[in-house]
Amino acid sequence: MKRRKGSSDSLLTKAGGELDDRFKLAGPARVLLNKVFPDHWSFLLGEIALFSFILLLLSGTFLALFFEPSMAHVTYEGAYVPLQGIEMTKAYESALDISFEVRGGLFMRQMHHWATLLFMASILVHMLRIFFTGAFRAPRETNWMIGILLFWVGFFEGFFGYSLPDDGLSGTGLRIMEGMTQSVPFIGPWASAALFGGQFPGTSVISMIYIIHVFIFPLILLALITVHVGLVFAQKHTQWPGPGRTEHNVVGFRMFPNYVMKQVGFMLFIWGVIGAMAGLFQINPIWLFGPYEVSVVSSASQPDFYVMYLDGLIRLFPAWELRIPPYFTLPAVFWPAIAGMGLSVLLPLVYPALERRFTKDRGHHNLLQRPRDTPARTSLGVMVVVFWIIGVISGGNDVFAQAFHISLNAMTWAGRIGIVVLPIIAYYVTYRICLGLQQHDREVLAHGLETGILMRDPNGRFYEVHQPLAEPDEHGHTELEYSGWVVPKKMNRVGALEPTDKGFFKSIEEPAENGGAERRDEIESGRK
Amino acid sequence: MAASAKRRRGWRKRLGALARFTGALVIVGGLYSVFSPGLYAQESAENTIDADAVKGQELYDTSCISCHGDSGEGIEGRGPSLIGVGSASVEFQVNTGRMPLANQGAQAPETYPQFTEEEAEWLGAYIEYLGGGAAVPDDLEALVENATVSEGGDLYRVNCSSCHGFAGGGGALSSGAHAPSLSGVTDEELYQAMLTGPQNMPVFADNELTPEQKADIIAYVQYIVNDDRDPGGVFSLGRFGPSTEGLAIFLVGMTALLLTTLWIAGKS
Amino acid sequence: MSAHNDSAHSEPEPVDLSDPKLSRFEVYKEGLRRDDIEIIHYEPRFAKPGTKAEKRMERIVGGLFLFSGLFATLFVVAYIWWPWEYEGAATWRDPQTWYTPILGATLGLSLLLFAVGVLTWAKKLLPVEELVQDRHDGGSSQEDRRIAEATVDGLVEDMGLKRRPFLVKAALLGAAPLGLAAVAPLGALLKDPGDMLTVTGWNAEKYNDGEPVRLMMKDGALLRPDMVSVGGQLTVFPAIDHGATNEFPTAPVLLIRLRETDAEILRENLYPMYQDVDALWGNFVAYSKICTHVGCPASLYEQQTQRLLCPCHQSQFNVVDNAAPVFGPATRHLPMLPIDVDDEGYFIATSDFLVPPGPAFWNRPSLPEEDEK
Repeated sequence: MKRRKGSSDSLLTKAGGELDDRFKLAGPARVLLNKVFPDHWSFLLGEIALFSFILLLLSGTFLALFFEPSMAHVTYEGAYVPLQGIEMTKAYESALDISFEVRGGLFMRQMHHWATLLFMASILVHMLRIFFTGAFRAPRETNWMIGILLFWVGFFEGFFGYSLPDDGLSGTGLRIMEGMTQSVPFIGPWASAALFGGQFPGTSVISMIYIIHVFIFPLILLALITVHVGLVFAQKHTQWPGPGRTEHNVVGFRMFPNYVMKQVGFMLFIWGVIGAMAGLFQINPIWLFGPYEVSVVSSASQPDFYVMYLDGLIRLFPAWELRIPPYFTLPAVFWPAIAGMGLSVLLPLVYPALERRFTKDRGHHNLLQRPRDTPARTSLGVMVVVFWIIGVISGGNDVFAQAFHISLNAMTWAGRIGIVVLPIIAYYVTYRICLGLQQHDREVLAHGLETGILMRDPNGRFYEVHQPLAEPDEHGHTELEYSGWVVPKKMNRVGALEPTDKGFFKSIEEPAENGGAERRDEIESGRK
Repeated sequence: MAASAKRRRGWRKRLGALARFTGALVIVGGLYSVFSPGLYAQESAENTIDADAVKGQELYDTSCISCHGDSGEGIEGRGPSLIGVGSASVEFQVNTGRMPLANQGAQAPETYPQFTEEEAEWLGAYIEYLGGGAAVPDDLEALVENATVSEGGDLYRVNCSSCHGFAGGGGALSSGAHAPSLSGVTDEELYQAMLTGPQNMPVFADNELTPEQKADIIAYVQYIVNDDRDPGGVFSLGRFGPSTEGLAIFLVGMTALLLTTLWIAGKS
Repeated sequence: MSAHNDSAHSEPEPVDLSDPKLSRFEVYKEGLRRDDIEIIHYEPRFAKPGTKAEKRMERIVGGLFLFSGLFATLFVVAYIWWPWEYEGAATWRDPQTWYTPILGATLGLSLLLFAVGVLTWAKKLLPVEELVQDRHDGGSSQEDRRIAEATVDGLVEDMGLKRRPFLVKAALLGAAPLGLAAVAPLGALLKDPGDMLTVTGWNAEKYNDGEPVRLMMKDGALLRPDMVSVGGQLTVFPAIDHGATNEFPTAPVLLIRLRETDAEILRENLYPMYQDVDALWGNFVAYSKICTHVGCPASLYEQQTQRLLCPCHQSQFNVVDNAAPVFGPATRHLPMLPIDVDDEGYFIATSDFLVPPGPAFWNRPSLPEEDEK
């Protein structure tokens, strides 16, 4: 391919030749350059996590240059006046120095923190997309499990990062972790002593979680992400059903230049959003929290949002402590914190296997499902989402109570009742909505589009004229089969009327030379 | 801004007292007050208590008596006894609009004051006349000026942040009660609140926190809440901590990026 | 060019690459064919190159890149020359308070503009294309599987895994302790929790040579009864070395001076174990500040409702009923520190807490006394 004679790119050809001589690249490079990717907005959500992660590595490296993970005691002599002369740990002092005495350090710290939040948020949103469209089904169960692991490693990576500055808030978080650890049957106190090198908070925990935060977990994340992306590449991306799209092909555009340019553009966009947020929105003002002291706490002490649902569960769980006198106690916190977290890891991991078992669906699937077509799964998903949201809100119920002048106790009770009742209601409502949407799709395929034209027959009966979506067959039937993709519901979607206006701020008219004006959206669904 | 208005009020109080003295006192006392304003104010208070207290009693009998009783002894189930609460407490409650109370609830809400500051002083004088109690020192301004911000921060975190939050934004208490936000609160109000423990707030009288320590706390609160612009951003997200940060990442970050995905993958 | 129907596909024929008359496109298509890719739609974005519309789009994209560069330059300039050092309380008029926002705005804008430039290039200038590639899903071919099986079987045979069961067992038996040896160094982390969860800084024998431990404030001042006023509360620590530091994480105590009426109620409600040791002194009561739920300082004292609230999970304790939990997830009362006043007029703790303070743990001794109401 590259042996072509040419004047302008002869240098490139030569370089390519030299490389190929050594690494035998021509074949694999062609496969890579030509690989076809499907295109849909919902396929870009995982990328947000990927590119936030890259930014996390970059900004984290900057912070690591200045952070000292030591719990040795020092007296603060830095620039921030309200803390001058205060005893604190070296870790907190260096975190303050990053904020006040390192040029651009505060910007970097805020960027690191916002990127973390975006990383976790996009994993969640990406996970929802995978779940609701059935993209986790065979042959992709492994990648789903890797994704779940990525979330949980990210969860602890984030929590450890939150703990590192050793400020008042992070210490409170560690204290709660101590209480949770102690509640584990049999090993609790021993595990806690191992974690904190004796009694909480001890003098070693910061350096221990530092090495986990900057080395062990990033390495695990990096490895898992590599496998995750590699599997997507090797197994080829799923695609939505549609004309010409089958279980055995991929319809889209080439990796180069189209896909890669969009990816690079999106990466820069994500970084731009994080950069702007890092400069404009203050996050985690550690200088207000002071050094961690066991007797100090703040109202509205919250973990970051991805931990908040767990904190919410801990708040909502009733005071049920199991006692087996004279020894052995199973504290109330064990159920939401340890058992709850365990289930939150386990259930998503085994979900693909469970679904396989109940639906007895053993096939390979490369086409996605619309959420409405799998009402049971969709409703289950919405149920979990509602449960999670109530958990998150309850995790911040004191802030809610204060901001909206609601009684704190009422918030807790609303959460306790809501977290049991609302998911069930959500399941039922979602199920009905799914069925309704399905029915409407079938109806349009069977009888055609509503045209808005009312007619009156000789008997005086009014009826609306429907525009069938297909030519009548020999029996005069126009019924189409549902193909799992969007059914046009409006006349302009089939070209019978002018297309609806497109464009964000002003309507986009396609230039005539492009031949765009005559183009209409094609009927994308309903094959005979 | 509000703080300076309050400081002016402190001056007015001192000037008002000054006017009640005769010429000799003007010369001697004027000189004296420069060197020892606290001592001077104490003397003057004893002289003025009756006149102001009488005016205060008139106000009390129309606005407070229905809940706090004939002579401030309180009515079971309606209002607590005011004997011994002192002028600082009365001025705090009245100047922040917490009293008179519109209706019984979990907690008296902060609203617009219904009396002028002068009237609040009269009321305070009357209550002090009924049973004494704590008052704000007149040299508060000097105390705050000489305060050590960092020591105030230390004290704030041990004694105050558990309810009012690390950032002074306030917090929720049990059953609908709440600790108010400290933003825009004047030095005097902060001092009065600590001194008297209004509503559910514990009392931090002079034996728990000396006037100097209270001034340290005031200086710290004013520093972080009112004086210092938040480093690191244009928006502080209400200083609610991770809750609003989580909201922001979804409402700002995720929303912007979801719209972008629609644009990127949209037909062009 | 476009073909939307599966049946319309005709398998393209392989071409002879040695044919010198092949065009670049034909060579390229042969590459696609080898990767099972077929073009179903391909057209340049602009039918005629060099039209006004195309030029306009080029100008837009170019402009975006140039502006991006401008903002990146501004970022670097601001990073170097904008005043940034913190100099005490500052208002929005002080330039250093704008340092971080300016960094964010310039870097953010620069990245966003470049991103929009690249994306516009991809969306508006690249050819419109739609290709279809075959998946080869569902495992390898039967042939490959057979070859792989035979290879693995050969391997097993060569090693004699089936014929030498003793070796296999010996290897496993040897490897198991080896695995253990690899993990064993982690045991260095293990520490006997000992009495760390049950003994606090108030323990006279352990920390104060048997002398009752006095109460002190954070700054070291010893506590006398006249230092707390009615309706007031103070956080106090054991008056021992480092008593107010994190070395004694279960020691902090909230000393409350109750009103007479509230103190009466408390005295009536007092658990027998506290009655036995005369835990109150006058109207003073001292409760552990460490929440029995998961250990946050339960320190939101409401002096009218007589509740103590923990800000982490909203457990609420009734101060006039032994700090028994009345709401939230906490299950046990905040342990009371028995206090007294010594000859010199200072508060002392007459003993350590009667029950372990702080969060519950697996082997926490649950004493029968504490269940009594």
